[in-house]
Amino acid sequence: MAAPFTLRKIGVPPNSANLTEARRRVFDFFRAACRSLPTVMDIYNLQDVVAPSQLRFAISAQIRNNAHVTDPKALPLISVSLVIDLLLFKGMEELTDIVDHAKQRHHIIGQYVVGEGLVQNTGSKDQGKSDFLKNFYTSNYV
Amino acid sequence: SKLPYNPPPRIYHATLKRVLRKASSFQSISFGRFQSSKRIRLQISCAAKPETVQKVSDIVKEQLALSADTALTAESKFSALGADSLDTVEIVMALEEKFDISVEETEAQNITTIQEAADLIEDLVQKKPTAQAS
Repeated sequence: MAAPFTLRKIGVPPNSANLTEARRRVFDFFRAACRSLPTVMDIYNLQDVVAPSQLRFAISAQIRNNAHVTDPKALPLISVSLVIDLLLFKGMEELTDIVDHAKQRHHIIGQYVVGEGLVQNTGSKDQGKSDFLKNFYTSNYV
Repeated sequence: SKLPYNPPPRIYHATLKRVLRKASSFQSISFGRFQSSKRIRLQISCAAKPETVQKVSDIVKEQLALSADTALTAESKFSALGADSLDTVEIVMALEEKFDISVEETEAQNITTIQEAADLIEDLVQKKPTAQAS
């Protein structure tokens, strides 16, 4: 079996100099998260609930959520790599909390297995109806 | 089973090839001597076993959500199949889990096609300590 992966607690590293280094850090974070997945599944007893590939997909979906943070013109005062560093810091914090068993099983299932909160999956009755009601809670202007 | 469209004949060929490949692999398992000679012969002709390439293709299809009848050759590039860089990293992680290996970052950067991934996997699987049989 491959050597078990341990999450090293590094102090806050200096800010990334440019986008390529920020990109490299994103991939390093993703790899660290994926390699911690066996530990996580072990701690929270998720073997019957979800497969590691689904959790990997959830992690990449969260990263993709913030993938739009690339345009330097949108943030004139802050550099783009600083924003990415901050997002990575929060991600790393979340990952450390999960691996340290500071969260509980229902947190993991609710946040990463089922989707954005448990409410999303109970809307199956309204599928196929108009978009107006679906977007009613999100905003006035569609 | 009736399909709403005419399936291209490529599918039947691909499934037939897969069945034949599986049949040939059964043969190689039962006779040990034949298996080693077959492996040596394969190493001379191509770097990775066809089963490895097939497993890699399956993982790639699942990751990129491609339909089951997309023909994937060993030289298909991930970017040509619609994968961005995060998808490539995810594919490498899925391969790590499937084959129980650990891919370094420097090695992972060079992977762009299915054949390269299969070659790297074969390399790492052989390097694993022989005491732990996979």
